[in-house]
Amino acid sequence: MRNKIAAASAVIIRKTLRLMGKGATTLPGKIALKISPDIIRSKASGKNIITITGTNGKTTTSHMISDMLNTLGYDVINNISGANLASGIATTLICGREEVKKAKGDSKGLVYVLETDEAAFAKIAKPLSPKVCVVTNLFRDQLDRYGELTHTRDLIAGGIDGTSATLVINSDDSLVASLGIGREDRSVFFGMDKKALISYEKDHPAKKGIIPPSADAVFCPECKVRYEYKARTYGHLGDFYCPSCGRKSPDPRFAAIYGEEGNPAFEGYKFSIKDTKNGLMEEVPLKIPGSHNIYNTLGCVAAVTVLTEKMEGEKEDHFEKACDASSEVKAAFGRMEKFKVKDKEVCILLVKNPAGLDRSLQFVADSKDTGCLYLLLNSNFADGKDVSWIWDVDFESKAEDLPENIYVSGQRYADMNLRVRYCGRDVREKGDETHMKEIFDKALSECPSGKCVYILPNYTSMLALRAMLVKEFGIKDFWK
Amino acid sequence: MEKIVIGHFYPDLLNLYGDRGNVLALAVRSRLRDIEVEIRNISVGDDLKEGDIDIGFIGGGQDSEQNIMSDDLVKVKGPVIKSMIESGTVFFTVCGGYQMLGKYYKEHDGKVIECLGAIDLYTEGEKERFINDTVYEFSPDGKSSVTCVGFENHSGRTYLGEGVMPFMKVVKGHGNNGKDGTEGVRYKNTFGTYSHGSFLPKNPEVTDLLLELALKRKYGEDYILKPIDDLGAKEAREAALKYIETGKEQMI
Repeated sequence: MRNKIAAASAVIIRKTLRLMGKGATTLPGKIALKISPDIIRSKASGKNIITITGTNGKTTTSHMISDMLNTLGYDVINNISGANLASGIATTLICGREEVKKAKGDSKGLVYVLETDEAAFAKIAKPLSPKVCVVTNLFRDQLDRYGELTHTRDLIAGGIDGTSATLVINSDDSLVASLGIGREDRSVFFGMDKKALISYEKDHPAKKGIIPPSADAVFCPECKVRYEYKARTYGHLGDFYCPSCGRKSPDPRFAAIYGEEGNPAFEGYKFSIKDTKNGLMEEVPLKIPGSHNIYNTLGCVAAVTVLTEKMEGEKEDHFEKACDASSEVKAAFGRMEKFKVKDKEVCILLVKNPAGLDRSLQFVADSKDTGCLYLLLNSNFADGKDVSWIWDVDFESKAEDLPENIYVSGQRYADMNLRVRYCGRDVREKGDETHMKEIFDKALSECPSGKCVYILPNYTSMLALRAMLVKEFGIKDFWK
Repeated sequence: MEKIVIGHFYPDLLNLYGDRGNVLALAVRSRLRDIEVEIRNISVGDDLKEGDIDIGFIGGGQDSEQNIMSDDLVKVKGPVIKSMIESGTVFFTVCGGYQMLGKYYKEHDGKVIECLGAIDLYTEGEKERFINDTVYEFSPDGKSSVTCVGFENHSGRTYLGEGVMPFMKVVKGHGNNGKDGTEGVRYKNTFGTYSHGSFLPKNPEVTDLLLELALKRKYGEDYILKPIDDLGAKEAREAALKYIETGKEQMI
């Protein structure tokens, strides 16, 4: 009864707020949870649910999995706008039916694809009782708000233990891979193919800055001994092993192999994925560029293969179909979102933490169509009040490959300006958040035709930027 | 050509909140003056001899990471570091690195962690963390003063021993302990602060003081540092002050 009242209240609140032009992606669930704390369990019961958590790539991964499931004949409901706390997830479970993404062709069923904040996951994993839990990676992320990374890892472990879900987890991330210890029978790993990674690293040595970027999790927590790496992708991800206890990155069931030609910074870059369990290999195009999106695509293929195996029974062609479906995906809200303005393009890459900024700068440095770079830095509560994380990022190794014109804005524009100047580059135009639009206009007008303005905002500056773009260019509001 | 060797202590463990920005500032502001820079990473198991480095930097770390290196720092490298501090080697230390120079750290549950004992100070952990923007007055020579800005994030309360000099005076924020208006410590050529991340990039007067102290020690008291561009530090500082004054910052 309580659950019924809670759900009905949420629906009414949602409808009212929508009439007022609001997104209403969290408040209805928040009220419903107040009325009935049991609402998530009650609404989740009997549903096909997959959760995605981790510090980086959650939204991109959730979005890709949704697109892939659509292609494979499933209706999908997801918390599209990144409403990823308990309140947003409750809202999605109660009100999501009005926004089903319909399957292509006849529907085989409905799947809830839920992006879940790491701390929220600890609390709601059990009532959600998902079939599959994906953990992308664990990088430092607003430590002033979330606390230590090992603590985040433990929170996720606690959440997992309340479920009987199959885990789809990154074998190259020592912290994420450790979630598989003691849960071997239900862990499925994805990661770079080890041989391929070693030879790729040899052929593509990373440029070095003045000092290495700040590293997370490079010591074995058991032995307190530094991990050795046979090869590394970026950050603390790679083929690690502990020289003392022998703990090492697990051999992944799903393994990615770099392509022979081109560069992961280019859309359509071809690489391969192996399903070692069934001895299969497929070539896939990287639809969302950036070297980190190899991991994201791989994680999605792994997750969709495992989920469809669970829902339809094990057949060999699930993997093949998942790979095919991965070529049908689009970028999510503010994540590699691109749109055209006359003969130029504008692309938004949300950067919330050092790993995200590092990868995005690398991507801009490697892209062929880079016209200019616009960095936005705010320090509202949702961003983290402390902006010193920008000093954790290795700008120096990318400095000479960044475009000629760099622009900065946001509440903490002067901190970002200082960071850019320290890597030896000048800033073309700068100003606080009240100048965001005029600096955007200048960047756009000074961007060469046929090229792209790459904008790297952090969270609240992305919301402000997007609101401005909605007004100026009529791109979609986020909940539409 | 002059050369400076910067010892970056435990860079793979003590690297919270952009602490590496301090090492970058020392390096970049040296290179802009055509001073050769060598950055030596000194982590667990690495050798350290007196005279190896001209400036040492020790940052702060997460608890799990400080647990990994604290034995190496206190028991293995401790005697050398103490002797370097006594003989006037320049050290800049932040948060955990600063606390470890003292006598001990008492956690809020009563557990006592023995520290280096290089400087007469001690730290007590409390539950409430100080997380906020900060403004300080720094007086390099006891006469003139510079307004410095930073960001603090710590649960430790540090108390200086009798006659021990603080590094700066708190104008806004909590500083060492939220009570006595002091921030950090200055002992011989060693400095400690709770200000994280972009402190040296944003406060080049302090960066240059550290470089000058180290270069004078190495090349004689007549050594004078060439003036160079501040790379936008003053603007960053003014913007931060404006941001703080207009009340947009949040004291938690």
